[in-house]
Amino acid sequence: MNVQTRIRRWPWVAIVLAITVAFVLSMVSPKDDVQGELVRIMYIHVPAAWLAYVAFFVTFLGSLTYLLTKNLKWDRIAAASAEIGVFFTGLTLALGMIWGKSTWGVWWTWDARLTLTAIMFFVYLGYLALRRTTDDPISRASRASVLGVLGAVQIPIVHFSVVWWRTLHQPPSLVRPDGPAIQESLMLVALIVGVLAFTVVYVSAMVKRIELIHLEDRRIEIEHSIDRPVAGDSVVVPELGAKT
Amino acid sequence: MSDSSSVSQADSGAYVSDEVTVIDPLVVLDGVDVRVGSMQILRDVNLEVKAGEIVGLFGSNGAGKTTALRLIATLIRPAQGVGTVLGADLSAPERYDVRRKIGMIGHVPGTFPELSLLENLEYAARVAGVPIDRAKDALAAVGLAAASDRLAGASSHGMQRRTEFARELMIDRSLLLLDEPHSALDRDAVDLVEGLIERKAAEGGAVIVVSHDRDRINAIAHRSVELVGGTLS
Amino acid sequence: MTTGFWHQVEAVVHRDLLRERRRGDVLWVTIPFGALALLLVPLAIGTDASMLRDIGVGMYWVIVMLFGVLVAVGKASRETLPQQDASSLLGLDPAAGFVGRTMSSAILLLAFEAVVGVVAVGLYNIEIIGVGWLVLTLFIVAIGLALLGTLTAGIVNSTSTGIALVPLLVAPLSVPLLLGATQSYDGLRYGNAIISWVSMMMAVVIVVSMIGVLTARPLQES
Repeated sequence: MNVQTRIRRWPWVAIVLAITVAFVLSMVSPKDDVQGELVRIMYIHVPAAWLAYVAFFVTFLGSLTYLLTKNLKWDRIAAASAEIGVFFTGLTLALGMIWGKSTWGVWWTWDARLTLTAIMFFVYLGYLALRRTTDDPISRASRASVLGVLGAVQIPIVHFSVVWWRTLHQPPSLVRPDGPAIQESLMLVALIVGVLAFTVVYVSAMVKRIELIHLEDRRIEIEHSIDRPVAGDSVVVPELGAKT
Repeated sequence: MSDSSSVSQADSGAYVSDEVTVIDPLVVLDGVDVRVGSMQILRDVNLEVKAGEIVGLFGSNGAGKTTALRLIATLIRPAQGVGTVLGADLSAPERYDVRRKIGMIGHVPGTFPELSLLENLEYAARVAGVPIDRAKDALAAVGLAAASDRLAGASSHGMQRRTEFARELMIDRSLLLLDEPHSALDRDAVDLVEGLIERKAAEGGAVIVVSHDRDRINAIAHRSVELVGGTLS
Repeated sequence: MTTGFWHQVEAVVHRDLLRERRRGDVLWVTIPFGALALLLVPLAIGTDASMLRDIGVGMYWVIVMLFGVLVAVGKASRETLPQQDASSLLGLDPAAGFVGRTMSSAILLLAFEAVVGVVAVGLYNIEIIGVGWLVLTLFIVAIGLALLGTLTAGIVNSTSTGIALVPLLVAPLSVPLLLGATQSYDGLRYGNAIISWVSMMMAVVIVVSMIGVLTARPLQES
């Protein structure tokens, strides 16, 4: 195996290794006194939520740096991170709902964190939808970056608004979505390893996705650099009026 | 109705107007490529237009004539190559400063259909910072004084084009870019347009005219170029 | 900012309000649609007077947020490429264009809020309290929503499917305005301090106007 193949494979090796360790730990960690086996959802739910926040923060940094430097590399980082972030936000919401339904009997509770996560999901879904509307890499990058910055700057304000709103209207105590109390150190270790494993997944997915976006851009660039006919050449002399 | 007299020609070949120093040649394109989205429209375009020149620009449908005008109007950036218009680099922010000196009349009117012809000109005067009463004079100069209250949307294509010519009369421009100026215009309006073109050149500005009507353009232009395969010949 | 800047802002506001006056999109479509939505809600959820009174203010603000966005993306504030080109070549500062479009949208949104507000008070028997604060809230929300609408309309500008995206982009970002407006009313009703909610809405206005002014040029040139 040459060096290049090895480099290309490391993300996969890392993902498999990290996920396996995290999985084993989450399975051998004790069950919760109150929630029983259900507590194991936490080992995915919490790392996914953590990563969603990290991913959107990276999107913000990428967008801001693009606006300042106009280097497309940063836009690619922002885009890749937003895609992964939306995936993890969706996962967080879905798992949270399953957890909520089995623990408190409701799919949804108006907890501040939950509401904020749902809002973030829609903000970045909009970001991805926006990217789909433009082909031109530079135009797409400028537009998406402004939204990436706007979305991120608004999020702390949204966060405060939702938290204040919840402080005024406490939900029924039955559906308070506090996580299970971490009783044993093994649970804590499993959770930390889970977060680390998901971070490895994130970094690997980022590397792959940025590479892919870069290749797509390269393909377009190469298409331009070869002597391709310009758009106007597709219009030829009409046959009706042509001299024979 | 001439306000372009404020442009004074200096011996050095550069002349000073309101706020920008215009450098001759007014337009220089050197190996410029233009892409719109993923489409290559112009490739390796070279062009030089000096003060006082009238240049005809020909090309078949879809050859990129309109894109070339928008490039020279600083509204799109070159993907490759170097270009300067009125001394401003087409790829640098300094191009914003020369915009007010560039007049363009596209083949689709840029008037607002909900505004009357006079209101359209008054809006232009307000934005460009010229006295608002010039709007009325300019409209009269293109023979539309009696139609000044008509909404642009309810006016014919030809009337909207005349209104746009009135806008160019009203504002002091160094470079005029005209896309098919003869289309939709009657005999009188054509005389008016050709008068404007010749006067602009005589005052030390330059005019680039896109047209299919080679005879008409050859009669007034000093030279002409043709867009074939995205490049100028 | 120079006087030239504010003259351009004035020109854009004047232009957009004239366009709206002639088109009447907001007056004859958006406002009746908002009022109609308020009429439909009780038909769906019941007409119990005290319940309607309880949900009335919330419903009003939801309608303002969802339908108000349409004011900022209305035909009267949209420009075609030749119109944009013409304005650019007149030397229109994109930031002045942004401020002008925002101001005209905010004026139209205030009209929307006023008419739909009267309908809401009538249909839901809403109690009007703290008139000064209420007017302030109406102003801040109109400006905040106009800013968000104008900025996102600029972000998606010139993309064919883009304009339909604006409500999706604006709605989640306008959550602080929605919560600020509804909670201010609750605060007034129960005698709680509302200054924190008002400040939060002001924060949205300040942040979004800064982003809008700073990015107007790069957005237009892209």
